[in-house]
Amino acid sequence: MELVTRLTELIYSNLIREDRFRLLFDGLGLTLQITLYALCMGVVIGVVIAVARIMKIKVLSQIAQFYVDIIRGTPIVVQLVIIYYAVLADSSLPKTMVASIAFAINCGAYVSELIRGGILAVDRGQMEAARSLGLSWFQSMRFVVIPQAVKNILPALVNEAIALLKETAIAGYIALDDLTRAGNIIRSVNFDPYTPFLIVAIIYLYCTTTLSVFAGMLERRLRASD
Amino acid sequence: MIKVENLTKSFGELKVLTGVNAHIGKSEVVCVIGPSGSGKSTFLRCLNLLEEPTSGKVWIDGIELTEHVKEINRLRQKMGMVFQQFNLFPHMTVLDNIILSPIRAKGEKKADAVALAKELLAQVGLADKVNEYPNRLSGGQKQRVAIARALAMRPEIMLFDEPTSALDPEMVGEVLEVMKNLAKAGMTMVVVTHEMGFAREVSDRVLFMDSGVIAEEGPPSAIFGNPQNPRTREFLSKVL
Repeated sequence: MELVTRLTELIYSNLIREDRFRLLFDGLGLTLQITLYALCMGVVIGVVIAVARIMKIKVLSQIAQFYVDIIRGTPIVVQLVIIYYAVLADSSLPKTMVASIAFAINCGAYVSELIRGGILAVDRGQMEAARSLGLSWFQSMRFVVIPQAVKNILPALVNEAIALLKETAIAGYIALDDLTRAGNIIRSVNFDPYTPFLIVAIIYLYCTTTLSVFAGMLERRLRASD
Repeated sequence: MIKVENLTKSFGELKVLTGVNAHIGKSEVVCVIGPSGSGKSTFLRCLNLLEEPTSGKVWIDGIELTEHVKEINRLRQKMGMVFQQFNLFPHMTVLDNIILSPIRAKGEKKADAVALAKELLAQVGLADKVNEYPNRLSGGQKQRVAIARALAMRPEIMLFDEPTSALDPEMVGEVLEVMKNLAKAGMTMVVVTHEMGFAREVSDRVLFMDSGVIAEEGPPSAIFGNPQNPRTREFLSKVL
């Protein structure tokens, strides 16, 4: 009986009072928004960087290599803060967009390595066949090689998306009210050290699990041709 | 139709072609035979610049390729190529494999490309496989699709790089049959092959390659019946 009372009280203080569930709800919305934007831009950046490195145009691939090294060699919190307060400080972009760009730049570096590996793993004969048919190098990449590369790396790409979703938890560093920060706010007003984060954890877990399930379905569909 | 002059190709230190001269006329079917490593495939791949010649010249229809590298995509449309490993695009259906480059490289309308693709598939006896994915086809079927795919660009020349070498023996016949029909229809063909029966029966001329040059050439009756070069004789005695 006491347990029920305690539980009701917890739910009330963490979710109901002053409409606190809304904080979490809005936070989740922001987290998902940043993740989605960052992932889309990140994949585009990743493809461009990967192609630049594969083309072996010296200047281009050196820049690409430099970018990848920097991103992989520094913590993402540091990148986010620097991009927000220094690189894009004077831009009129909304804060959410700045955060999305920062995460995209980070994500792009990892995705580019994935895609590069994926492209190199596609049989050379595919490119040759496409070229022999009169397609240009870029067309061959676009219609023949990259689709196969993406398919091969899809599981890894979903892992990347899951990692990204969790990494956005640092958005609070630039005062964005994402899911984690919403939990933090409830923690401080409730003087409750962990219950809000238990709820936050469950929400994250639900999202990442959904992603995994979705990825599984997508993989099975793509495998139709195997 | 095809003229090759002093063609050489080296991979680093390795000299694969050391001076190939050849002339192939319109509607001629030429088989290239010779031991492994003699440069047959490299020679063929130089004809559409899949390999860039180290030196020498290649004319297709009067246009010298190495001087027109920028237009190579357009020039390649005149030459279909069929590979030993088929190289079908596994993520596309048979139909999409065939219509991809007519639409993208030539700018054909989709409806036209589809109509032609279906016609060609019927020609190679695979009309019922339009919507199948390559991995569900047998080797012989894959190679016939690959031939249809190359033909969809309406090429003037077809290059075959050991088209039956990766096939199970019972599937070789169906592919050679398609090639024979193509030859009968007047297609200019260059075929690198180990199928001596096909070379003897179908080709107008046989080139025997050895150590990076054409060591002997002539009509099949002469090459197979009365080879002059001792290397040709040695090779034929091993494979026949």
